[in-house]
Amino acid sequence: MGKLIVVACGAGINTSTIAEDSIRERLKKEGITDVEVKRILMADIDGYIGRMNLIVSMMKIFRTFDVPIVQGMPFLIGSKDEKEVLLNKIIKLIKE
Amino acid sequence: MLQFNEDLVLIDFDAADSTTVIKAMSDRLYARGFVSELYGQQTISREEKHPTGLPTEPFCIAFPHADAEGVNVSSLAVAILRNPVVFKNMADPDEDLLVYIVLLLANKKPEEQIETLRKLAILFGQPEKLSELRSQPTSASAATWLRLELSLSESSESVGEVRKGGLL
Repeated sequence: MGKLIVVACGAGINTSTIAEDSIRERLKKEGITDVEVKRILMADIDGYIGRMNLIVSMMKIFRTFDVPIVQGMPFLIGSKDEKEVLLNKIIKLIKE
Repeated sequence: MLQFNEDLVLIDFDAADSTTVIKAMSDRLYARGFVSELYGQQTISREEKHPTGLPTEPFCIAFPHADAEGVNVSSLAVAILRNPVVFKNMADPDEDLLVYIVLLLANKKPEEQIETLRKLAILFGQPEKLSELRSQPTSASAATWLRLELSLSESSESVGEVRKGGLL
């Protein structure tokens, strides 16, 4: 089974869509086909425990999970370079 | 298509707090039939639980919105403020941000607005562009500037007017 990246935000609408789109585009460019990206409501995150391999969060998370958490804010407000750095980090983490 | 025109741009808007700004913006969208009457209150409630202040440079902005349920037609309203109001930071709800520009994207289906969202994220990452937007002298010039930056086409008639026309 492939890996799963969840992109979490409050409303699951605008901000997570931006992050989801950026990650999907990069995965495609890298030729990585076995990683799914799914945007979710932070309130629903417990339903993905055990299935998700990486969390990209647009907001602060006040608890820990057994998978890495990446702060996704640069997708929304970062410069081109900051967005690139964040994507590199996500690709590295999901390949591990 | 995303509905956006100068009627949905508030310039030099004088408001005491974020609630007043969101209310004024959602009122504009409601007047055109783009969102439900409750959308403003839903957005304010959402903002309390999940804030949307963004620590952009050279000044902060906010990107409020509520669920898709209250949206009839995807549309964008913008407020450029005379004095900043406080929004909480999306990444850290304990932090107050002084916000000068508010963009309310009432989104019916996120996937359909992906191009606009991409363009917004590029815009938010460019301090000189945000300054340019803030210095627009009129609603019309701000609308034209944004339409160009976001590659939006000229908005058609509002839903309200279309409906009225259909009845005649």
